[in-house]
Amino acid sequence: MIILDALHAVMSVSVLTAVTVGSISGIIIGGMPGLTATMAVALLIPITFSFSPLIGLSLMGGVYAGAMYGGSIAAILLSTPGTPAAAATAIEGYPLTKQGKGGLALKVSVVASFIGGTFSVVVLLLVSPLLAQFALKFGPPEYFLLALMGLTGVISVSTGGLVKGIISGLIGLIIALIGTDAMSGVLRYTFGQVELYEGVSFMPALIGMFSIAQMLALTSEKRIANDDIDLSSIKREKMPKGMAPFIALGTAVGTLVGIIPGEGATIAAFVSYNMAKQKSKFKNLFGKGNPEGIAAAESGNNACVGGSLVPLLTLGIPGNTVSAALMGGLMIQGLIPGPELFTKYGQITYGFILSLFIANIVFLVVGLFFAPYFARIALIPASILIAAISVFAVIGSYAINNSMFDVGLMLTFAFTGFFLDKMGFSLSAIILGMILGPIAESGFAQALTISGGAYSIFFASVPAKILWVIIIILLVQPMISHYRSKKIKNTAS
Amino acid sequence: MRKIISLVLFFATVVVSNSFGAYPSKAIKLIVPSKAGGSTDTTARLFAQTAKKYWKGAKFIIVDKPGSGGLMGFEAEARSRADGYTLGLMFTPQIVAHIVAKRATYTLDSFKIIGNVAEDPEIVVVPAQSSVKNLDDLVKLAKSKKITAAVNGIGSDDFLAAKNFESATGVKFNLMPTKGSTEEKAAILGNHIEVAFMNLSQMLAQHKAGKARIIAIMSKKRSDVAMDIKTSVEQGYNVLMTATRGMLINAKVKKNIADKISDLYSKVVNDKEFQAKCKKAFIFLKPMKGKVYRDYLVQLQKDTQKVYDVSPW
Repeated sequence: MIILDALHAVMSVSVLTAVTVGSISGIIIGGMPGLTATMAVALLIPITFSFSPLIGLSLMGGVYAGAMYGGSIAAILLSTPGTPAAAATAIEGYPLTKQGKGGLALKVSVVASFIGGTFSVVVLLLVSPLLAQFALKFGPPEYFLLALMGLTGVISVSTGGLVKGIISGLIGLIIALIGTDAMSGVLRYTFGQVELYEGVSFMPALIGMFSIAQMLALTSEKRIANDDIDLSSIKREKMPKGMAPFIALGTAVGTLVGIIPGEGATIAAFVSYNMAKQKSKFKNLFGKGNPEGIAAAESGNNACVGGSLVPLLTLGIPGNTVSAALMGGLMIQGLIPGPELFTKYGQITYGFILSLFIANIVFLVVGLFFAPYFARIALIPASILIAAISVFAVIGSYAINNSMFDVGLMLTFAFTGFFLDKMGFSLSAIILGMILGPIAESGFAQALTISGGAYSIFFASVPAKILWVIIIILLVQPMISHYRSKKIKNTAS
Repeated sequence: MRKIISLVLFFATVVVSNSFGAYPSKAIKLIVPSKAGGSTDTTARLFAQTAKKYWKGAKFIIVDKPGSGGLMGFEAEARSRADGYTLGLMFTPQIVAHIVAKRATYTLDSFKIIGNVAEDPEIVVVPAQSSVKNLDDLVKLAKSKKITAAVNGIGSDDFLAAKNFESATGVKFNLMPTKGSTEEKAAILGNHIEVAFMNLSQMLAQHKAGKARIIAIMSKKRSDVAMDIKTSVEQGYNVLMTATRGMLINAKVKKNIADKISDLYSKVVNDKEFQAKCKKAFIFLKPMKGKVYRDYLVQLQKDTQKVYDVSPW
């Protein structure tokens, strides 16, 4: 049995060390804004030449899994998402930290990440080829609908009222228009700035609006956690009850969305978050620190790890930039994506998949053990913390593209973000618009190119019809609950 | 007293190493005009790894400057300090396409071309389910109805190849620009479009696994790695396109330093270990020395200008 052989290969000291080292460094890399898993994997590619294929791959796999989880730590504690996929986590996690419940938020996040990550690897192990066929059903019209589905999340993330939320989403979409029009090559609103030809890169915007804008708000406080919190209670937070359905939801969404090539993890996190809010009995707590939101978002983005490897290993289509870099690592080892990976090179491929299980266990242990210590960050005096975070934010925005322009961009977003936030606009909705705008636009334009301008293409395939149903549900449900709550208010008065 | 001596010694070393010190005496930046983990990035990393064998103790730092089809990186290379401590990677046809489209502030004269390292020939690929078996079939199909052809962005090698193919055959495609080879791959494997113009390394594995069909390679000679694929010339279509990946430095770098870099380039591309690693990573080596490669670039710019004049972007 090939899987047992692979298991035997994985259980060697060198492979286990590689996974552990990979996973722990992944957590650190993911936690730092500006350092990405993609960069780490790219750095590892030439090094892996000197290792046996399995060791090299499990090192890279460990980094990938660890980084996806690590992104949530800084998101929760400092409202500084290390990856865009962790932005949804920050919306719920940071308020919890402010209430002195950072330890609890971290625990929920690591458990959700573990379950999401592990389940998606099980799927990868058992039904890869079948799921690859599903992934291929998605063409440009389906990408457009997927982005549209993600955009319905604007309703959930806007806490300052629906109208302002929609305006925020539109601001994001407008910012996303800047840059080269992919269809015609025409430059839009670039004002002769070479740096804008590619569009406004969203990592500096994310760091500016989430991290620095929060630090500006923090200047009026002594520290992140409110003063009246019992300092010793941070250590003894138990896992809250009732998280299971939200983790299950996130896991399902993440695994499915991850399989579809594209900006997987971010869409998965926001869609899971959005669905969790619709489903929750404590809707009013969302945006103010609801662990349910963290559970859904984190299981969602970690479930993408396994999902994104499905099209990579079976078809050679990388689901995102990290798996694109991973593909480089595979090919260097002479492992060409395709059916042979599961037969001729089965021992290595299955070994790699099994090593991902171990990577998940490593970050679970590390995360649970260190959660109470990490959480103490909330007690550091604001005067020190703000300076430290600002340094990280500047380095982080520079490091993404090695560009000073991005640092200026980050600062611009920080100050505008601060005031927009004060006026009740939703920064998360702006980010959502910025990330999903380009995906929606190119899907839309490409679909119409294929159909010769006929809009029927958006309703033609089975996946498209299913996506429409989900979109309508996601739009109608909040309307109904909005109407109901109004009715209750009216009868009460 | 000890302190003074050590201080004097320290300054002496600094002065000596600065005025008489042999090049290279500090870390060399290698600018990659694309994303980390991509093919150009891997080429640069393998180059740096091998270069250390010949320049003992030399340090190389890979700096990825992705964006706008390499434009961000090319601009940074043109603006780099002319002290020989910045080498740049480049790829065609984008580096000249930006000049032609008047997007670039540099010209070919801003650079001293060190040489070409690798190439990735252009291919024409159709879904495995397609009835199209060769270029004749493709032209016939395109004349009978409007078909969609995916390319990787406006002004890219794919785009220019498709445009050249159109003008050589008189057909007109529904051109669908994508954001990269991943989207093109998904569209072909999922049978969402009729044809795509891509590079050999991007579809070779899928072609060999029977999941997609490469119907032509747009070069004069067949490729060693896929002898079964007929060239465009063999099929009677004189449309050629390839993506090359070369190396350059600022034009103002002193001649003696530039010569050292050229020498290093020659040693690396002829290194057996480097060649073996590139082969594994699907990087097809095609060394072309500075002068020859520069002439190639000048001609490519003229050809690209012709396409631009007919249908600008």
